[in-house]
Amino acid sequence: MSDLVPFAVAVPIVGSVLALLAGLVRSKSGWPVAVVASAVHVGVAAELARRALFEGTVRYVVGGFEVPYGIELVVDGLSATVLGLVAVVSLGVLAYARVAGPRSNPFYAAYLLLVAGLTGLTITGDLFNMYVFLEITGLAAYVVVASGDGGRSAVAALRYLLIGTVGASLFLLGLGYAYIATGTLNMGDLATLLAEYGHTTTLVQTAFAFVVVGLLIKIAVFPLHTWQPEAYAASPDSVSGLISALVSTVSAYALIRVVYTVFTPEFLAANPLARDLLGVAAAVSIVAGSVLAVAQTEVKRMLAYSSVAQYGLVIAGVSLVNETAMIGALVHLVGHAIMKGGLFLTAGLVATATGARTVDDYEGLAERLPAGATAFGVLALAMVGIPPAVGFVGKWYIALGAVETESWVLTAVIVGSTLLTLAYFARLVERMFFRETPVAAGDAEAARDDADVGADVTAADGGDRLPAPGTVSLGMYAVVVAAAALAVALGAAVFEYAALVEPTVTSLLS
Amino acid sequence: MTEIHSLRPVAAVLISLLATVPILASRGRPNVRETWTMLAALGTFGVVASMVPGVLAGDTYVTDFGTFVPEVSFALRADPLGILFALLASTLWVVTSLYSIGYMRGLDEHDQTRYFAAFAGSVASAVGVAFAHNLIVLYVFYELLTVATYPLVAHDETDEARAAGRKYLAYTFGGGVAVLAGILLVFVLTGTTDFTAGGIAGLAGADPALARAAFGLLVAGFGVKAALMPMHSWLPDAMVAPTPVSGLLHAVAVVKSGVFGIARVVLDVFGPDLVGDLGMGLPLAVVAALTLVIASVIALRQDNLKRRLAFSTVSQLSYIVLGLAVLHPMSLTGGLLHIPAHAFMKLTLFFCAGAIHVETHTDDISNMAGIGKRMPLTMTAFGIAALGMAGIPLVAGFVSKYFLLIGTVSAGQMVFTAALLVSGVLNIAYFWPVVYAAFFETPDRSDEKPVIGAALGGWVARDGADQWLASDGGAGGRDGDPTDDHGYADDHEGQGPVDSAAAAEHIDREHGPDYRPEWEHRGWTGEESTWFMLGPILFAAAGSLTLGVVPDAAVFLRIVRLVVAGATGVSV
Repeated sequence: MSDLVPFAVAVPIVGSVLALLAGLVRSKSGWPVAVVASAVHVGVAAELARRALFEGTVRYVVGGFEVPYGIELVVDGLSATVLGLVAVVSLGVLAYARVAGPRSNPFYAAYLLLVAGLTGLTITGDLFNMYVFLEITGLAAYVVVASGDGGRSAVAALRYLLIGTVGASLFLLGLGYAYIATGTLNMGDLATLLAEYGHTTTLVQTAFAFVVVGLLIKIAVFPLHTWQPEAYAASPDSVSGLISALVSTVSAYALIRVVYTVFTPEFLAANPLARDLLGVAAAVSIVAGSVLAVAQTEVKRMLAYSSVAQYGLVIAGVSLVNETAMIGALVHLVGHAIMKGGLFLTAGLVATATGARTVDDYEGLAERLPAGATAFGVLALAMVGIPPAVGFVGKWYIALGAVETESWVLTAVIVGSTLLTLAYFARLVERMFFRETPVAAGDAEAARDDADVGADVTAADGGDRLPAPGTVSLGMYAVVVAAAALAVALGAAVFEYAALVEPTVTSLLS
Repeated sequence: MTEIHSLRPVAAVLISLLATVPILASRGRPNVRETWTMLAALGTFGVVASMVPGVLAGDTYVTDFGTFVPEVSFALRADPLGILFALLASTLWVVTSLYSIGYMRGLDEHDQTRYFAAFAGSVASAVGVAFAHNLIVLYVFYELLTVATYPLVAHDETDEARAAGRKYLAYTFGGGVAVLAGILLVFVLTGTTDFTAGGIAGLAGADPALARAAFGLLVAGFGVKAALMPMHSWLPDAMVAPTPVSGLLHAVAVVKSGVFGIARVVLDVFGPDLVGDLGMGLPLAVVAALTLVIASVIALRQDNLKRRLAFSTVSQLSYIVLGLAVLHPMSLTGGLLHIPAHAFMKLTLFFCAGAIHVETHTDDISNMAGIGKRMPLTMTAFGIAALGMAGIPLVAGFVSKYFLLIGTVSAGQMVFTAALLVSGVLNIAYFWPVVYAAFFETPDRSDEKPVIGAALGGWVARDGADQWLASDGGAGGRDGDPTDDHGYADDHEGQGPVDSAAAAEHIDREHGPDYRPEWEHRGWTGEESTWFMLGPILFAAAGSLTLGVVPDAAVFLRIVRLVVAGATGVSV
């Protein structure tokens, strides 16, 4: 029954083509197609995840070619986690996108192609195949970023394309070196042959450096993040929700996969410098990302820089080569996706309902849009790491791993990151709940009336100062509230999850 | 000693936590909303009180939800120390709820729904802190308490209130970070964070340097909320919150969650013996002693009544910490007993300050001359509590300070005895003027207040200008109102009859001041305010007296003896 594995990639690809074709018959038919494809995808992903977590690793060889010559698809506990995340988030964002748009069929074709790319990245067991899916993901991501109206998103997409291609090229270069050293591209095979070739040889070290730096660009770790803030901020709200939750997350998954499955912990043990550099990159990213986030005036850009900092935490977990920290990295990967995706969607909802897009626009938001402000507040506090939300649990595991390996500097940065995160979220929370909406003298009365009635939040004022508000659908609210609830509730589920994923992590680290 | 599996510890937390939902839902119907608050307060109190007999008999009540993170279960456990704090917080929440109703309605405050919801959330978190079974769960509720209290600090939505809120978040989350780091160390050293009476066994064999680091981090982290100097400065600023908040949260629940954390660390994580062996007791005691003396001196110069009370809180909290740090069973008893003793007295004082504010809009002590005529009951209660603060017998403060003094003497640390005595004198010095002014002065015949009004170092004449400058950089005129140089709003207008007279003089210039400033006379039968406020004031004052007159009959001392016996093996 492992025949199910290729369907995880095939379903969204087929859906993508169908969405494009359906557009020839009837315009605006992309959304239903995407929902059906996504729902099926969730089903497939759930079944695969169940098998991988409860029954052990699922393997499938594409086309019947023998490994190591053919392409292998592998679903273990690690990929099952990310696969489930990809499926659920992409379906959730669809519920948001129905009203929020974009609505064209080509958009949904690209959307599903992006999902296919992400899925492929997650389940492939072949390094070159990983590159292929990295490019599919990248190209589809450039397209959906560019799908916004106006020049800003086009420029952002162009910049994303240029920098992203450099990252992918570096990855390709590195994998070429690995191929020269070993003559294979299968990940399991590479692991043994690279060890035989010698982990301290220049060739293998070069391969590692290129592959890792290429992926760090894709993840957007400081100072390789420059494509990311604008790409997130300039794309349509649904898109920023999707890519902030998934694209960097899956790239970080790829990093874990490459470092631990291909190069193995022995490589890091043989090259302490590589490990230390990863740790330094993580610490620098945490601090720099947070500082840059504080400096932003646009909410979506602030959230984007926050991602730079949060991926620093994940990389820190990866660099520690410790079981606890690794589980923490996984938990934070998933938790961050839920929280950050939710935050971006909430920011989009707020912008749609009230036109507020900058930090100052958020003043008095609690009166104008109580549900939005509350969801944003809960997600922000979860991100800060207030227990018992998932943001805290992930951080706890990573910090515990750091203490266990006696990496004191990293411990200090990880624990202190709470305050750094607080620095940029507290000002928003304060503005939302403890400031009055600034209104021009004339419509002060009207705004007061609106706030008092408060029945129709979607239409609640916004004032003349801000751009015209749009419609907010029930689906948008549902997704945002679900994200906030998940961010809190997942914290309680982490222990059970850790027990399930532990065999995978143990085998990764051995 | 048996462990009873029961849902009561979690019920105590959940009742007030869940109450936030109906409170938020019944916005717009104030009476329904306040009914929910009262029901939650009484329910929480009932559940906590129902556990007291069992705990006194040596049982503990445990609710266990299974593992939260590896090796750490999410469990709530009502042991003697926990029940001490929970009983205190839930009892005082009942009276504070009544008082809040009188206060918030008396001032016609905005956003009362948010206020009552956040208040219920804060108490839920405080009870959670009390019943936490290990450091992680304690940390969870400790952080939630910060979050839940933040809306109350920033309630006024003025620049000042927002600044206080920011400062509050920065300080307390900073402390939280230190606590988290300390917990990590303890966990890595011992593999557990469960509280054990007398200390976690594994810590004694751990690397002393790391154990000291863990102790330092934990105590520094909890010390932020306990307002140990130099981490105290958020507390006076947080006085911008409505007075019931200052009363229950910033004199009882929040600050004492910090003290309680230190107590847990000293008694149940490290254990008094190990703290002594590590040599960490003395430095902590020195910090506490310095804090309690310095804060008392600063309090002398505060003209704003709430700020004076805040510095008094800073000082009194350090009594507790000092008692814990001296490590002698007697001083431990004194320190722990000071938790309820100080709570009752300081709550009385804050309630009085709030009642004065609601009734007369007077915040500054310099405007309170003769106010005893206007608010006789309130000022009498204030007087009683003030005497207790200074440690005069028959009021709660005496009993706890007595134990503290005996403890410091028995431990042979006379320096701390001296510090306690000096602080007692200073207590009189900063509380007596308030009582004296209220009863023995009148608005037009009051003595000079050189300590408040004068500048340290005297006045300097500025060349060429008819102006005097304070050499300490303070604001205010040489012969004008002694103004507050610590940030409180300089809108003195409307504060008391002196200001009214000045205002009248301004308006009716040609008629001249045609009335002598004087407080209106009100009787002793509650004409001065509403019973919503007077009732709680009298209850808290009566509580202070009960704890002072018959300490053994009041349940708190019995619980404290149980705690100390459990942690040290010595019964006092």
